Amino acid sequence: MSDRPLALTVNGRPVSAPGVPDSERLLDTLRWRLGLRGTKEGCRTGDCGACTVLVAGRPTLSCLTLAREVEQEAVVTIEGIDADPVGQAVRDAFRDAGALQCGYCTPGFVVALTGLLKEAGSAAPAAALLEDLGGNLCRCTGYAAIARAAELARERLR
Amino acid sequence: MTAVIRPDLGEKLAGRVVYGTDLEAPGMLWGALVLSPVAAGRIVAVDLAAARARPGVVAISAADVPALVGGAVGDAERPPFPAGPITYPAQPLAAIAAPTLEEARAAARAVRLEIEPAPVVADLESVFPDWPGPDVGASPHVAGHVRARRGDVDRALAGATTVVRETYRTSGIHQVALEPHACLAEVGDGRWHVRSSTQSPFGVREDTASILGLPEASIVVDGAWVGGGFGGKGASLLEPYALLLARAAGRPVRLALSYREEFLLGRSTLPAVIRLETGVSDGRIVARRVRLLLDVGASLPGRDFATGYSIGFLLGPYVTPTFEVEGYAVRTHKSPFGPHRAPFAPQCAFAVESHLDEVARAAGIDPVAFRAAHLWTTGATTPLGQTVGPFGLPAALEAARERARAWRATLPPGHGIGIGVGFWSTGTGAGGEVRLRLSPSELTVEQGEREIGSGSVVVGVAAVAARRTGLPRGRIRVEYRPTSTAPFDSGVFGSRTTAVLGRAVDAAAADLLGELARRLGAPGEATLVEAGGDLAAEAGGARRPVRELLTGPEREEGGLAAAGRHYGPETSIDESVVEAGTFYGYRDYTGAAHVAQVEVDRATGAVRVERYAAFHDVGALVDRASAQAQVEGGIVMGLGTALTEEAIWSDDGRLANPGLLDYRIPTLAEVPPIDVEFLEGFPGGGPFGAKGLGEPPIIPVPATVAAAVRDACGAHLTELPLSPERVARALKLA
Repeated sequence: MSDRPLALTVNGRPVSAPGVPDSERLLDTLRWRLGLRGTKEGCRTGDCGACTVLVAGRPTLSCLTLAREVEQEAVVTIEGIDADPVGQAVRDAFRDAGALQCGYCTPGFVVALTGLLKEAGSAAPAAALLEDLGGNLCRCTGYAAIARAAELARERLR
Repeated sequence: MTAVIRPDLGEKLAGRVVYGTDLEAPGMLWGALVLSPVAAGRIVAVDLAAARARPGVVAISAADVPALVGGAVGDAERPPFPAGPITYPAQPLAAIAAPTLEEARAAARAVRLEIEPAPVVADLESVFPDWPGPDVGASPHVAGHVRARRGDVDRALAGATTVVRETYRTSGIHQVALEPHACLAEVGDGRWHVRSSTQSPFGVREDTASILGLPEASIVVDGAWVGGGFGGKGASLLEPYALLLARAAGRPVRLALSYREEFLLGRSTLPAVIRLETGVSDGRIVARRVRLLLDVGASLPGRDFATGYSIGFLLGPYVTPTFEVEGYAVRTHKSPFGPHRAPFAPQCAFAVESHLDEVARAAGIDPVAFRAAHLWTTGATTPLGQTVGPFGLPAALEAARERARAWRATLPPGHGIGIGVGFWSTGTGAGGEVRLRLSPSELTVEQGEREIGSGSVVVGVAAVAARRTGLPRGRIRVEYRPTSTAPFDSGVFGSRTTAVLGRAVDAAAADLLGELARRLGAPGEATLVEAGGDLAAEAGGARRPVRELLTGPEREEGGLAAAGRHYGPETSIDESVVEAGTFYGYRDYTGAAHVAQVEVDRATGAVRVERYAAFHDVGALVDRASAQAQVEGGIVMGLGTALTEEAIWSDDGRLANPGLLDYRIPTLAEVPPIDVEFLEGFPGGGPFGAKGLGEPPIIPVPATVAAAVRDACGAHLTELPLSPERVARALKLA
């Protein structure tokens, strides 16, 4: 274990946590040390996408990322997503399209779509956007409403 | 786009909703279970010494339970830890609590297990390779047996012009709610308190009381938001262990499954072998024989519900004058059978519909016309002797047929179109109760369920209260209460919640509105309206603010209260046809017809669903957006059952694919456009004539996709899922 406290920038704020083992996953740091439980724990094997956060603007699986790896990068979680106009637009689109039911996959989807839209821009082809979201699983909606929300967000950002 | 009104969306989108996995309490410990490494065996020793030697660790096993529950005696057939042999893989043998999850897991690994492995029976068909013989009574593998008969099937089949005999096989499928099971327990002052993301707080209370031998009144179950249920969170699973650990530790204990454990321990639907034999003369079905072997895993003998409930679906929604159905619930060394959205009905529909296609073809009749000619209509008598109420399935089939015709006009070669139907009973389970409380500014629905995502509580129950009282939905608040103060309800399952709790709301509203009318000096019922930022009641031309209609004590208690309950009518079947076991009546018959267009890659056997349409009898719509969401979600879940989802067990009984990489559910990238249409005008017993809609959408899907695959390439598949390997093999044989 490193003696140095873990230093992260989460949702624009610097945070520090002592006694964090080098092997700790970003997911656990966010949820249990920082109390940011909006990021969901699903499979912990990188297969479901529920734990997606933005690291330096890129959608990142926090279950497969060590907290120590991202000390130099900006981390954004669902709790901070609406500080970004794209994140705000995605969240509103999910609400307006009713693109969630149980909501457990939703933070991951919102964060991932925000990252993808920021990276590719709203001019990116819809099909490519949806294919890139294929790494996020949802069991409730059948994805139909999620696809509508993605389209709605893209339109509004254009 | 239909307007979406869901008060939970904002909180969920902000990441503020607390699910079972998010639960935390000051000073809590983290729990872990010690799972059996073998599927069958005799426990020689569970030695906790090494685990207990670790700092801060609490460890318990079977020997500790009596003292923890103060000498209470629980159900001897299902103790928390096995008293006798190990009967399924990953059966919990001990439980650990520790200051961190890592320490709990490390302590769990330190528990020394001494087990004499026993021979494992993992495969249903190794138990009864064909069908049980006369010595079946002596078999330890029978958990249930049902048999019903009308007329002489042998004679009818012998006299039929065409007889088709087939065998179908279906796979084990897991619910795959994204949130694994999780709960948080606290024990003190004689109160056993557990928060859990469950589909049934009262069901968990009853189960937990029975397992631990405690009075129900000493147990409080408080729901958390549920990250998907699909049938997997209806009974207790972790709660007894969390409570025992909390009792032993004297501190709150959080217990959650890893996703791998979720696959291993979750109660999922298991494989089955379905044999169907149907005789036809002059274009009419004259007789059917059904033989079902349903793997129920380590389910307890005599407590199997699935076989007697499911087997009725194997006659289909079709007029069948002479029949014989017989089924065995077969015990194997697997985790006990559990319900999965419309338990076992999609598998039954797959077998029945595919078989009917084959029968129609053999008899030289158009398969869809053949179905239409036999489909129940309103007022028909089912094979088990029930009368079908208003039934929209014939109209749905007609609509599906027209859609298929339109699609066929532009169908490219090598692609195919299929139609499938399914029926379901809604409003099942025991009844439900609610309490309405009218304050000067809002109407609260006090109840004990938690929203599982379908919207049946947060939208359905609220929408009924709004429509019934005249208030906009923004004035309705749904309150979630623990079992200690909530009115009873049996659970969010069985396509029952909006239908049953909605009727309870209806009953409570009648009382409430009647009382308001009385206070206004008018006969009948009052209606509620918004007035000057508050609420007012109107009746017989009089109108007064609600505030002025409340008594002093009512104002202190938060408003005028009215209780409502709805316990649906008892269902019964014609018992004269039953020869063994228990059959169950269905309620509020509903149905759906689906159409799929697919492309089949003849080289690889891969199936791509290109477009999909669904026509659903809903009785009456309560909320269109939620209804559409249920159908879209159910169809895609069904595509998983149809195409990819298959639990695989190795010969030693261990699950070979306990993870989302190897157990594949549909992703966004492979979902087709889905068109949903609702048929109203066939009212059911729910509020305003609504019928349940949570489960019906999944039922016709595997049948529909299989019919489309056959249309595309001629391959007639008799096993689920329709994986590329199976399709390619069938193409070679075709």
